[in-house]
Amino acid sequence: MAKMIDRQLLKLLIILDERITTKNHFFSQYHTYLLDTWSTKKQMRLDDLKAAHAKAVCRMAYRMHVHCDDLDQEIEQRKLTIEEKFKWKHKALTQTLRRKNAKYPKKSNEHQTWFQAQEAHLHSLKLKRMERVVPTFVNANDSSVASQESLGAIEAKENAILSVKEQKIEAHYARKIASLNLRTEKKRQRLMLWEKKIKDWIHTIYQRNPKDDYGLGEDIILHVENLTMRFGGLVAVDQLSFDVKQGEIFGLIGPNGAGKTTVFNCITKFYRPAGGKMIFRKSPVDVIELNDYPVHRIVRQGIIRTFQNVELVWELSVIDNLLVAAHSRFHTGFFGQLLHIPKLRHEEAVLRQKAMHILERLGLLAYMNAIPYGLPYGILKRIELARTLMVDPKLIILDEPAAGLNDQETRELAGIIRDIRDQNDVTIFLVEHDMGLVMDICDTVCAISFGKKIAIGSPKEIQANKTVRDAYLGEE
Amino acid sequence: MDRMMRGINRFIREFKAIVKHPYFGYVFFGMMFLILLLLRNQGWVTISVINTAVIVMIYTVISLGFSLLLGFGGLASLGTAGFVGFGSFLMGYLHGVLNYSLGVTLVLSLSVALAIGLIVGFISLRIEGMYLAIITLGLGEILRQFFISYDTFTGGFSGRSFREFTLFGINFVSGDGKYFNMVYIIVVIMFVLAMIATINIIKSPTGRALLAMKNSDSAAQSMGISLIKYRLLAFVLSTVFALLGGMLYIMHTKFSYAPQWNLSFSLEILAAVIVGGAQSIFGIAIGVFLIFGLKISVLNYIPFFQANPALIVIFNGALIILVVMFYPGGLIRLLQTLKYIVVKRFGLLKQKWRRYRYGEDD
Amino acid sequence: MPGIDIAIRQILIVNAILFLLFFVIDIAFFRKKIKRPLYRGRLINALITIGILTMFVASIKVFTWPLLLQIFLLNTVDLCILILATTGVVLIFKTSVTTNFAQGMMATFGAFFATTVVIRLMAKYSGSQTLYLFIGLFSGVLVSFLLGLIIDVGIIRRGRHVSSVGKQMITMGLVMVLMGAIPVIFGSNPIALPAFSIDVEIFNIGEHILVIPVQNLYAIVITLVVLVILFAALRFTKWGLGVRATASSEMVASMMGVNTRAITAMSWAIAGGLGAIAAFFYASSGAQVQVASMVGVQVNAFMAAVLGSFSSFGGPIVGALLINIFSSIAPFYDGTWQVVIVYGIILLIVLAKPLGLFGKKTAKKV
Repeated sequence: MAKMIDRQLLKLLIILDERITTKNHFFSQYHTYLLDTWSTKKQMRLDDLKAAHAKAVCRMAYRMHVHCDDLDQEIEQRKLTIEEKFKWKHKALTQTLRRKNAKYPKKSNEHQTWFQAQEAHLHSLKLKRMERVVPTFVNANDSSVASQESLGAIEAKENAILSVKEQKIEAHYARKIASLNLRTEKKRQRLMLWEKKIKDWIHTIYQRNPKDDYGLGEDIILHVENLTMRFGGLVAVDQLSFDVKQGEIFGLIGPNGAGKTTVFNCITKFYRPAGGKMIFRKSPVDVIELNDYPVHRIVRQGIIRTFQNVELVWELSVIDNLLVAAHSRFHTGFFGQLLHIPKLRHEEAVLRQKAMHILERLGLLAYMNAIPYGLPYGILKRIELARTLMVDPKLIILDEPAAGLNDQETRELAGIIRDIRDQNDVTIFLVEHDMGLVMDICDTVCAISFGKKIAIGSPKEIQANKTVRDAYLGEE
Repeated sequence: MDRMMRGINRFIREFKAIVKHPYFGYVFFGMMFLILLLLRNQGWVTISVINTAVIVMIYTVISLGFSLLLGFGGLASLGTAGFVGFGSFLMGYLHGVLNYSLGVTLVLSLSVALAIGLIVGFISLRIEGMYLAIITLGLGEILRQFFISYDTFTGGFSGRSFREFTLFGINFVSGDGKYFNMVYIIVVIMFVLAMIATINIIKSPTGRALLAMKNSDSAAQSMGISLIKYRLLAFVLSTVFALLGGMLYIMHTKFSYAPQWNLSFSLEILAAVIVGGAQSIFGIAIGVFLIFGLKISVLNYIPFFQANPALIVIFNGALIILVVMFYPGGLIRLLQTLKYIVVKRFGLLKQKWRRYRYGEDD
Repeated sequence: MPGIDIAIRQILIVNAILFLLFFVIDIAFFRKKIKRPLYRGRLINALITIGILTMFVASIKVFTWPLLLQIFLLNTVDLCILILATTGVVLIFKTSVTTNFAQGMMATFGAFFATTVVIRLMAKYSGSQTLYLFIGLFSGVLVSFLLGLIIDVGIIRRGRHVSSVGKQMITMGLVMVLMGAIPVIFGSNPIALPAFSIDVEIFNIGEHILVIPVQNLYAIVITLVVLVILFAALRFTKWGLGVRATASSEMVASMMGVNTRAITAMSWAIAGGLGAIAAFFYASSGAQVQVASMVGVQVNAFMAAVLGSFSSFGGPIVGALLINIFSSIAPFYDGTWQVVIVYGIILLIVLAKPLGLFGKKTAKKV
């Protein structure tokens, strides 16, 4: 009885632990996100200030009849716009004249004189406007004051003002960041306290009934032992065992109907396996048995998969699809979502930024706001890949990533997969029919036929293996 | 002068920010309806218009809940009428007969909604698609039978009438102008709140999770979305909206009659959602107006239809068929297309006008 | 009636024990066993059968079997109506993948036409009433047949790309159109249709005397003939093969050269005809022909189809039989809660077997 209570308690504690970890993760992410946005904002403000300052100095100089390129340009610009405006007005005038002539052809002389008068009026107006341009920059009354000081002195004065303002901005942001740090630190400490407590509780429970680490080797991330799956009388997977090492690309190959996808579905718990163990290293110190978790909790353990035929949400844009994948990263409650509290907005901002980074990395930024329906198949496959990266997984399971792609796209895909493995510190486990891709990128290949393992080894060994050839080409 | 211009610019900028806020449209809609009430009290608007407005608002609240279920969760249910009826009778019985206060009634009704939603949600975990629709239809029939038979609660065949209610210690009695105004204001507030709640849910992880579930169960589960949780949530939300709608209904019509909560009411709500556009809030309001409001506000006043009242039903039916056949995405799609066309045409017109005003460009 | 409370108690106790048994076995055994799904399904089937049988046994104990048989015989006409309506619903579901809410209205349209024909004929000529009734029945069926054909060709065929919920909406629009059109065409007063015969047949089984109205005999014979023809057509003709092919996948069927358009149109037409027979019998067994007269039958037909599963044609008929028996016995237990009892039982059965009694699960590929 006590054992059962312990087990239930443990389950609860592990869920709590997961939540706190995600929360902690979010705070650190939000922290960096805020720092990022603030630093860009600060830079923008500083740049604005500097530009304004330069302009002010320029004006001063102009009053003292020192030539300044920037101001010249601006004046030229204004004159040009005035010119343009009057050009349109003149055009309208000619059009009116043409219409009048067409309507009363006999009075064309009268019209001509009217037109000339109007034209002259327009011209005088234009000249007036043109004259008014320069004085707006150079106030005639001011020039006498300015001339008393030297240009250097003015610049020095302006520089002093500028540096004060800059310091103000710097101080403002420094204050902001300091308070943020304080707040985050407080929160983090509180969370750490809870985390420690929960870890302690878990530890005590483990002390009472010692935890099984299943004898998993240090460098192995997934250990599958005697996996069996039956559909009615059909044995789809039969006593399959293999190990996936940390950080490698592991390929599962086999003829059609060999039960490759079934293995995936067992690992991600879509099917309840009829027998066997699946042991997964969640973190260097944490080893779990996947059979203890339901389907929707698998992603929280760090395993995410793609599908053979692309399964996106067709009504949402690409970036929203990525946010769907990040569902397990949101921890605002339902009522928080109902009221759209700031916390939810912060989470959204952070995850949206992360999604943008991922899209940029996979070269999908152009499709960010597109609806996936109708996009090319290669792009859709890549969106699915991008989706897997949203949850910082430990193990990515790819179900036929190259199905339906042409040679060019397949080559690109191989590059992307290798890139993801190298940069994100993940292990990749894939099923593929394209032997070229498998032999190209995989470190280890396992061949199965009718649910049974027939060979495992490096791609070269598999290529040389006779049984594998027989399975593919039929025995002779 | 310069400062004034700057002020005006700033005002315009802020105004634009307000207009672009997602809630603005809903609040604006609510304001319009309140202005309608003012006009009515001045005697400038006929009673039929104001009745249409109330009916449209109440049924929109119900349909919004239903759209969360159908348009986002992808779960078809035909038991809406039963839930709405339940709400109306709860209000009529708890507040009208037992004299519980409005707050207590609301809390009790919400807990009933929770219970019903959980039951139907659990059923939906086992049964899917058309089977679910028909089983919920059966549930609706069971509820209707329950209303008819259990007459201490519903008044049986004589119906349950609702004469007065107390809010903030003030008693509102029907037949009074104050009663009507108060009900109208409550309905407007609930309407706006329902729309805001819906948009908040749609634009949050919950809404995305529901959509993911609708597209593919397996993909949703692989991304950490628990089917149990979100199916139950969808049903609970839709029941809560339906019960609230029922409560508003009995406050407005002052009467609820058991046999009226039948299959055809559920189907009409479904039709409103489908015709308007299952994923658009304004679309649903339009659909509700088309299904429920068009007859009482417009068609009854056209001489042709006055002469042949049977043609009104035919007209409504034909309208539904045509809209579903030619605009499977709902009428809102039609509006979007129109908007696109107008914007495009407007650009062309502007060019044309320029050519006319300034002559051919050479 | 005496003994009813005992029967109810017996039924409740037996079913509660069955339920608990299943629950305990499921949790204790099957959750851990390897071959769980197989045994579990069989166990559910066995338990449901035992549950239904106990209900019958308990009912026989209370009512005695001759009385039960008598109740059943008196209700055979309802059974025939339900079976015909259910078959129509299933036929349309198979080919158009939607539940046809207009089934009842199409049927009522035919019944109105038939009634009008019969009344006109009887007013004009004096002859055998039975002949006129048969003429009326035939013409009504023909009209509904044509109506179904027109609906498919004019509307459903054009809405091919509409989702199944959208198609439901189209049929609902049809209900409204027909509801408006019927009073315009046939007048707004409900009309009464004479029965084939108001006599009753009396016969003995052992020492018990049983009574069956002749009207019911007519209904049974006609229904049997129609069903035999329909099932033979489904089994042996090209159309039947086409229906089955379209039901499994419309796109594949049309690519294989099956003319799915013609098959769908035919199905709608036949469903209309079946409905018209049902509505005709509904009207001629005492009820008047009204616009809304078939709504209750239609809801029952949907429930029967769900109970027996949409995937076969035989299943819904068994479903209809069960519903008929439940709803003819239920009023004797408790009159006011009849609907609640019947639908509650159906709900429980469907919860245990989500795809109906005879439904087969198709494995979904992930």
